[in-house]
Amino acid sequence: MNRTIFRLSAQAVAGRRRGLVLLLIPVALLVLAVVIRLLTEGDVGVDATVGLGFSLALPLVSLLAATAVLGPEVDDGSIVYLLAKPVSRHVIAVSKFAAAWLTTMLLGAVPLAVAPFVLDASDPARAVALGVGGAVAGTAYTALFLGLAALTRHAVVVGLLYTLFWEGVLGSVLTGVRWLSVGAWGHQVAHALSSAVSDLRISSGYAVVAAVVVTVGTVWFTGDRLRSFTLRGDE
Amino acid sequence: MSDPSEATPQGRSVIHDLGYRPYTGQRLGAGAIARSLVVTGFRNAFGLGRSGRSKVLPFVLLGLNLLPALIVGGVMAFGGLDRLPIGYAEYASTTQVLLGVFVASQAPVLFSRDLRHGTIALYLARPLRSGAYALARWASLLAATLVFLVLPIVILYAVALLTELDVSDQTREAGIALGLAVLLALSLAGVSGVIASWSTRRGFAVVATIALLVVANGIVTVVQGISGEEGGRPVVGEVAGLFSPYSLYRGLMAAWTDADAPTPPSTTGMELAYVGVLVALSALCVGLLVARYRREATS
Repeated sequence: MNRTIFRLSAQAVAGRRRGLVLLLIPVALLVLAVVIRLLTEGDVGVDATVGLGFSLALPLVSLLAATAVLGPEVDDGSIVYLLAKPVSRHVIAVSKFAAAWLTTMLLGAVPLAVAPFVLDASDPARAVALGVGGAVAGTAYTALFLGLAALTRHAVVVGLLYTLFWEGVLGSVLTGVRWLSVGAWGHQVAHALSSAVSDLRISSGYAVVAAVVVTVGTVWFTGDRLRSFTLRGDE
Repeated sequence: MSDPSEATPQGRSVIHDLGYRPYTGQRLGAGAIARSLVVTGFRNAFGLGRSGRSKVLPFVLLGLNLLPALIVGGVMAFGGLDRLPIGYAEYASTTQVLLGVFVASQAPVLFSRDLRHGTIALYLARPLRSGAYALARWASLLAATLVFLVLPIVILYAVALLTELDVSDQTREAGIALGLAVLLALSLAGVSGVIASWSTRRGFAVVATIALLVVANGIVTVVQGISGEEGGRPVVGEVAGLFSPYSLYRGLMAAWTDADAPTPPSTTGMELAYVGVLVALSALCVGLLVARYRREATS
């Protein structure tokens, strides 16, 4: 972990326009929760809102954060100046991951706990469980997308296809996809902590282990890719 | 100031005369430049005329988008169904994720690269006006989006005719789907074009477009789901549907075909409002694009 790289990466995430969109996603989720709370009675809309947060808001936030710390530098080629420094490439990868991870936790996982609490304050255990589940999924998402950003210039599109097409469209048709879906792992962890969250019937042990393996594996992979990095020109 | 493009056959060019033989053929005007820009842009949107690696993404997306239509064709041929298992208009609603990713990822190809690399100055140095450049780029993206939307309809229509379903019914439904596809393509091309020309970082433009399209649609769907339940107020859902291109499409689809959607527009006035918002959104985006490039030309 290198503090300078961490600070620079955090600045890249919070850059003007990107910071704006990053902030808009959780704000939209919370505004939706507040509006539903004001206009309806009972715990209407908790499942729908949480589903929206898990399947869209969280992956989009972590995708924006993870590609922000690596993508632009690779795009304009300025990453060579960073790689020329006598810092281990794995340290670079971990520092960048830390910056993206912190953003995902603040803007992805915390709103996921706040939104159900706003909708139904009578069950704080569920809110906490969803927050923890969101943190697990957010960590794995961030690491996965960081690895993608180190692998390909089209990391954003591949990441979007993974979350929206694989987890979203195919996941709703082929139920077996949930075993290979980061969002479902987080959901299952939330279920293990609070039975108010629906059960996806994956063992929670598997979910945790899979999330840890993906996180550690892809962060290590990012460092390894940076170790043998070649810049390609724009197409 | 004389027009530098008027090099004379006598060999007197306007800026320098180094004694080289000048171009004496016919000079084509702004119209021809705009036309060839539209064609090149359309090809570029699918990676044609670009490197092999940039062909992969658009064609993978197109392939994934057509796959269900081909499967439907196979099912129709061997299963002997008496109607299509998926409606023409419903198709785009089902594959909206692929459509969104395609438009979002190919808009920066057309709108961001010239701005980011400064090559826009070379285009604007020609007799082409900045507004015409913006319109040409937008037309390319619109055409590419339409191809993406219309090809599955054509395949389904061909399958329906080849399995001898009722021709007039199928033609009417396919016609409605085509009209809806044009409305959706207009708005998507506009929105993604504006975002891509606003943020010239490709990756960021893609996520911003998707975030806007998909998150807005997700929020609208949640609101519609709640207001469409027993004892809810469907009017809230109808109004909420006005706030995202996908939900506008879905609402009109449910109103005009026999497909289902939560809280479709129930009155003719609301249907007109849905169409009006789609058209107004597209017009607004085209206006913003023209303004964006005019600013680029004057700065």
